[in-house]
Amino acid sequence: MTNTEIRPVGPEPARTRKSRGNRRTGQTRKASESTAATTIRTRGTRLLAVLFLAPTVVGIVVFTVVPIVGSVVLSLFQWDVIDDPRWAGAANYREILTDSTVLVSFRNTLVFMALAVALQLLIALVLAIAVNGRMPKWLRSVFRSAFFFPLVLSAASISVVMKYLFNQDFGPVNWLLGTVGIPSVPWLTSENGAMAAVVLAYVWQQFGFSFLLFVGGLNTIPKEVHEAASLDGASGVRKHLAITLPLLSPTLLVASVVGIINALQVFEQPYVLTAGGPGDSTRTVVMVIYETAFEQLRFGEASAVGVLLFALIMAVTALQFRLSRRYVHYQ
Amino acid sequence: MTDSLLSRRALMRYGAYGAGAAALAGVAAGWDRLTAADIPGRDDGSLVIATLGSAFNPEAQRALRDGFREVHPDIRIRINPVQAYDWSDFFSKILTQIAAGTAPDLVYVATEGVQLFARRLGVPLDRWAKRDAAELRTYFADVHPSLVESMMYEGSLHQLPVEFNAADMYLNSRVLERAGADLPDDDWTHDDFTTLLRAMKRSNGDRFTPYFWTNRLWGGVVPWLFANDTNLLTESKAPGGDWLWNSFYPEAQRRGRGGGYRWTTPLADSDRVAEVYDYLSSLVQEDLCTRPEGGDGRNLVGVFSTGRVGVTPAGGFWAGGLHQAGMKPADYDVRYFPRRRTRRHQFGAAGYAMLRTSKMRDEAWEFIKYTARKDVMTQLFAANQTTPARRSMVDEARYRETGPAHWQVFYDTLDKIPTSGPIPAPPQVNEVEQLLIKHTGTALASPGAVRPALRRLQGDLEKAMEREV
Repeated sequence: MTNTEIRPVGPEPARTRKSRGNRRTGQTRKASESTAATTIRTRGTRLLAVLFLAPTVVGIVVFTVVPIVGSVVLSLFQWDVIDDPRWAGAANYREILTDSTVLVSFRNTLVFMALAVALQLLIALVLAIAVNGRMPKWLRSVFRSAFFFPLVLSAASISVVMKYLFNQDFGPVNWLLGTVGIPSVPWLTSENGAMAAVVLAYVWQQFGFSFLLFVGGLNTIPKEVHEAASLDGASGVRKHLAITLPLLSPTLLVASVVGIINALQVFEQPYVLTAGGPGDSTRTVVMVIYETAFEQLRFGEASAVGVLLFALIMAVTALQFRLSRRYVHYQ
Repeated sequence: MTDSLLSRRALMRYGAYGAGAAALAGVAAGWDRLTAADIPGRDDGSLVIATLGSAFNPEAQRALRDGFREVHPDIRIRINPVQAYDWSDFFSKILTQIAAGTAPDLVYVATEGVQLFARRLGVPLDRWAKRDAAELRTYFADVHPSLVESMMYEGSLHQLPVEFNAADMYLNSRVLERAGADLPDDDWTHDDFTTLLRAMKRSNGDRFTPYFWTNRLWGGVVPWLFANDTNLLTESKAPGGDWLWNSFYPEAQRRGRGGGYRWTTPLADSDRVAEVYDYLSSLVQEDLCTRPEGGDGRNLVGVFSTGRVGVTPAGGFWAGGLHQAGMKPADYDVRYFPRRRTRRHQFGAAGYAMLRTSKMRDEAWEFIKYTARKDVMTQLFAANQTTPARRSMVDEARYRETGPAHWQVFYDTLDKIPTSGPIPAPPQVNEVEQLLIKHTGTALASPGAVRPALRRLQGDLEKAMEREV
């Protein structure tokens, strides 16, 4: 491989992994060094590389690594902002793992994630395929802008509007349902209705991101493949199932990874729409972190919940990448 | 790897160096913590006053600042209006400022936060109040002792109340007329209330909600608890405070006063509390009121002024809001909260709390005194967005343009019902309020849900109250 070659997106080809595996003998190392002799590797160039990388590395370290380490450390202390922190050891973890509100919030967050991500990907995919079909260019632009627009709005302000729309007594949604004879739905005042409202509000705002990814992914699929399938007599649905989805699987992986990470950190929609209620039915993990830290001044316990959420996100993401080896196809 | 300028191992090494350097920098920074106050220009020697953003309009804030400058040209002040949804949100933001090292000198605090601030952050005002007793005599003579008592904590005065709001009942005149009902008597009961709601429902159709209520500490379940002679937490009074009562109030008014309220053992699983929840549950089942989660004060003015709601609890603050929404004084009126076992009302008051972190305490006291002056309060509360703590300001002239006709109710809630008291707001108030909201929603979900939910509320409240704040 030379410097001018373009690497494919996704996991490296098997031969690369294999060649790297023989580290004990040092043969791979020698081979790479001999090839690298053709590349520039003076000390000055290395320094330049480090300089270029430094802002990103420093940014990651300062804004990601240090806060994570800080949270882990803080989770071992009792701290209320006002007085100095006191060592608590594992007490914060014991406390939160026996707190029914925390446990329920993890369950709610997982349920929310499953519903929201599935719905978001489905809507985005269907609309991306529809918009990518035959239609005037200007109309396509209108749809793309319209679907992306909610993403640039503040989640809190959208939630305020949604709260009005979903109000059981005075909301336009129930009024509209009433005009066709459907009885008033307790959107924000029943456990299932509240979760549905939060999911809908979230999906409406978030699906634009997946939509854009899918539109980009669809454009990379060669038209000839679909044309060939048409000549073979494949129906539209068959073409999408057998061609579009497999070829779009790398994009689906990205969209689902980002979607799941975002959904696991949902805060604004349930906070504004339902305040976590009725009862705890829409209380999410990040809401619990906020309430525990900023309303109850228990920063140590809040950090412990944050550490658990971090572990959950890491685990789910790792699982996705592990599963992706089986289901994601690179061209 | 052959095509890279930097080997993976080298990259890892440099990354580790970077991480180590950042960690060291973090430790170094933590040693003698840099705070937001270290930003040039932040700490300019001004007296910083944090107010709830929407508490005063910009004109009032200007008047406050400019007026104070005229009296005290040597004290620079900076008003920091903090935008927040409610008091709990406001306190969170103030605590964040304190954690960031930019603590204000004074904070506008309502009953919800009086004890939280007093216990953890506040400075008692006793020595200044004693020193300037002569100057304060006219203020205390004009302010009901219940309001002052609600601003005391363990025998010390922590704020001079400048405003308050009691939960009285607003009624829409047009809705009453359609129901063929008259304005209820002063002494109406909760049975009269139910009868009125039913009449309203009959005459106003399906898309109408007779009673609108919010699920929170102020104006939610608590006024119903007070009317049933109970509370969320056992209420008692701290000893002390004689220095204030003996100095400023006559014998009749200081009888039974103490050093501020104490709220301790939870009462959520008591029969009287259950009676209240059963009653509210019956109203929900009968479709006579909003479900607790549905009630949100933000769109309340709109639905009340357009006749889609008949009755709602609110304080004097609502007169200004309804006026702005286009309602005429005759379009609505106000009555006491309906009685059950008692006619006790709940209220919440607000004033400025001095923070322990302040290095300008004498200057801060001057500002507190200044805001308690009648001429200053007249400017601040010109828009009728609240009830002034000074009795002499609650007069006919104030309500002539905005209404309601029975504006006397606002201050009479204190004067004629001297048992009226503040909402239960111990130092653990944030958690108490959260638990109340959460379990009220569950309790009113179905007819059989009241007692199990109240038992859980009791358990959670006990846990919260045991927690050191």
